[in-house]
Amino acid sequence: MQALQASALEIFAKKIFNELKSDESLTISLSGEETLFTRLSQAKIRQVTNLHQAFVEFTFIKGNRTTNFSLPFKGASEDADVAIKKIRETREWIEKIPEDPFLVRPAYYGVTKEETLESLPLTEEMLTTVLDTSSHVDLAGVFSSGDIVRATINTEGQFHWFKTRNFYLDYSLYNDKQKAVKGLYAGNNWDADGLRTNLKDSEYKLSLMNRESKKIERGSYRVFLAPSAVSELLGTLSWGGVSMGEHKRGNGSLRDLWEGKRKMSEKFSLAEDFSLGMTPRFNDRGEVSPAHLPLIEKGVLKNFLTSTRTANEYKIETNNASDWESMRSPVITTGKLSRNDIFKELGTGLYLSDLHYLNWSDRETARVTGMTRYACFWVENGEIVSPIQDLRFDESYYNLFGEGLVELTDFADLIPSTGSYSQRDVGGSKVPGVLVSDFKFTL
Amino acid sequence: MMNLKQLLDGIKVKADYISLRSVHTHSAGVYVRNEVLEGVNTFHDHGLMVEVMVGGQLAYAATNSFDPSDVQKAAERAVLSAEHAHRFGLYHFSPNERPKVVGEYSSPAKYGINHFRPADVTELLMNLSSTMNVHEHIISRSAGYGITEMDTHLVATNGTDIRQKIIRSQVSLSATATSEKGTQTRTYGGDKASQTGIEELNLNMLEAEAQRVATEALELLNTEECPSETLDLLLAPDQMYLQIHESIGHPLELDRILGDERNYAGWSFVKPSDFGKLKYGSELMNVTFDPTVVGQHASYFADDIGAVATREYLIRNGILERGLGSLESQKRLGMPGVSSQRATSWNRAPIDRMANVNLEPGTSSMNDMISSIERGILMKTTRSWSIDDYRNKFQFGCEYGQLIENGKLTKLVKNPNYRGITAPFWNQLKMVGDRSTFEVGGLGNCGKGEPNQVIFVGHASPACLFSNIEVFGGGK
Repeated sequence: MQALQASALEIFAKKIFNELKSDESLTISLSGEETLFTRLSQAKIRQVTNLHQAFVEFTFIKGNRTTNFSLPFKGASEDADVAIKKIRETREWIEKIPEDPFLVRPAYYGVTKEETLESLPLTEEMLTTVLDTSSHVDLAGVFSSGDIVRATINTEGQFHWFKTRNFYLDYSLYNDKQKAVKGLYAGNNWDADGLRTNLKDSEYKLSLMNRESKKIERGSYRVFLAPSAVSELLGTLSWGGVSMGEHKRGNGSLRDLWEGKRKMSEKFSLAEDFSLGMTPRFNDRGEVSPAHLPLIEKGVLKNFLTSTRTANEYKIETNNASDWESMRSPVITTGKLSRNDIFKELGTGLYLSDLHYLNWSDRETARVTGMTRYACFWVENGEIVSPIQDLRFDESYYNLFGEGLVELTDFADLIPSTGSYSQRDVGGSKVPGVLVSDFKFTL
Repeated sequence: MMNLKQLLDGIKVKADYISLRSVHTHSAGVYVRNEVLEGVNTFHDHGLMVEVMVGGQLAYAATNSFDPSDVQKAAERAVLSAEHAHRFGLYHFSPNERPKVVGEYSSPAKYGINHFRPADVTELLMNLSSTMNVHEHIISRSAGYGITEMDTHLVATNGTDIRQKIIRSQVSLSATATSEKGTQTRTYGGDKASQTGIEELNLNMLEAEAQRVATEALELLNTEECPSETLDLLLAPDQMYLQIHESIGHPLELDRILGDERNYAGWSFVKPSDFGKLKYGSELMNVTFDPTVVGQHASYFADDIGAVATREYLIRNGILERGLGSLESQKRLGMPGVSSQRATSWNRAPIDRMANVNLEPGTSSMNDMISSIERGILMKTTRSWSIDDYRNKFQFGCEYGQLIENGKLTKLVKNPNYRGITAPFWNQLKMVGDRSTFEVGGLGNCGKGEPNQVIFVGHASPACLFSNIEVFGGGK
């Protein structure tokens, strides 16, 4: 696909940059993919969609005014003509809008090229292995594979290119009682045996779900949150929780942490860490984030994610966060709880593999609500007794990662993002499991 | 450039059915915060989805190129996928699920995106932002406007030819007040998207709303938390939209009931055998699916596989009657549905979605409902939402609460939330507002599907009163 070639973007940008006047500058960011999505249910194919898509987003600055616009990108020569026409139209009105006092001008942020293009078998071949291996179980999910590109280029000579070829099988297995377990097999290198082992592990977990489900009464319980559950919690925290802009605008949820009125556990440390390699370090402007940025260190807030625009507005330092100021590569530091001791240390309580549909319950007190989902069990004296009927929780991050945090596991799972709203996500998180002394269930 | 019919005629592949769905989207928006222009953004997208049916197996290929050779390649990819998938296909369809339909639709908007003038819109939003700057405690005030024109053209080898032009727009306002007592935000418009154009930018009306939003944010700062009690709950239409969406719309999607969504958005507590029997709610509950409402956010002539839209009852007098399922789901389940197979754009295959799902008005005025309450609470404007993967246990939060005591509205309370279980909740519906309480809303970001996609939906509802609902506030 021509649009996913670095040379196509360079040629495109050069033609457009030549059009610009002396008081104009431009940043172009490209998002593109060539993906085969196969939607699965009952271990059969429900829908299959081949997708070739790319679009370019422009941040155009003229004097002290700016506007953003987005166009499809085919990697063809006429793309630049369309963009130039758009710039000429923009010139007709841009000087009538107010100046931007917090304008972020493009700068030279270096030139990088990162490509992870391991050879993958044909998707049909991988899919056949998936479906042949799972034909005896009720599997639902999606298999996606192909190339993803993120890139930015600007009038100051900066150019960043990130291209990856990956696949994922994001799935769940169901028994005849409608109980399910969640699984994920993802990577850049296909290993059919690895897939088979992954599915076998999930089938074992599913066998535990065959027992009669227990209804748990409302109240506070000792719980173990598996890494995938912790990853969900991080996702909600990322929704305004660690954003400097949201904090300044009154919508942040960690104000007490910022002001030192509350702390989290000394065992809890959270950072943006791009060594995971799942997402580019550059943001849409091409600014390069620090390779490692501590957000919370031993329970104390160190940094909110701060975009350059927020920095300009509030006259503070930027840490080159994206404009959304949400985490792109979060890592929680591991603890001391070994895998073999999880159930022993849990004792009597709940093992929660996954959580679902989280949302802020009360931002001011960092309270989040959501549901348990998939392989969640009632445990007594370190032994799994039964799966549970689903439960609603309403709990504060100050408890989860604070007063209530008993220990984190000594291992962390790498959990890639499998979101695909408008385009396939890049990124993911690396998180341990967490043992919590009291976790409130409300329904 | 070739027209779509010519492109279709030029495709050389072996398939029982081929369709091309072209979607051209043009959006523009302005966002102002604290009287600073945060952004003027425009978005252009144009692409094509090729759908093929080979031996009953459907497959798709999407491309943003309209070059005949690229369209041919996309069709070839789709056919290859269909041939490979055939052996593993979950269900094989027939051309009956792709009726021949010819028609067109155009939103009733008077002034579309060609009339969008960034400077004029910016000036209006600046005025609104300034209007909300009523006190030093209002630390953040924002005003935004967006308009989208989506032109869809569907042609198929069976002679289908459908053109639809949908224009949608929305104004949104927000004011956040902060003091040592905490932070409160009030908003307007986030749920009021409709198929209207620039003509809807009415400064006088919006200034009144801006004033109200800022004033109420300040008032809420000085209130107590919503109590934790079981109360009669009166929901304003701008919370009813969300209640309908999450606890009626989604559970009734037939593809969810079939299990297609299990890995992502979830399943449903509704079973196929429930249709015609399940007492979903009180006999006051009447819910319709209606993409024929003029100007409502998700109105259209036909869905993205060509099923013509009609108004249908989903729930009548409390009894579940019909699901939100397209021709494909109807065939798989052997039951009727609605015209509802929709895609976010050219880059996703269509799936069962809501369109306009509305609660029909009843006979009670607002005063009737309030005066009937000994101890209760009025809640307005969605703030937070969460529900389980079977669409049973929910928890919703609102921006604004006001107690009702002995038949009168009394003091304001902040951070009002409530929780419940879907069918029992709807069976506790004890009064339904009349036309005087009825409002029409629309949302642009209903998410579902693998791969994921958003769709725009519409909801209309009167105010509704529910008995004995568990409510609670914020705080530690």
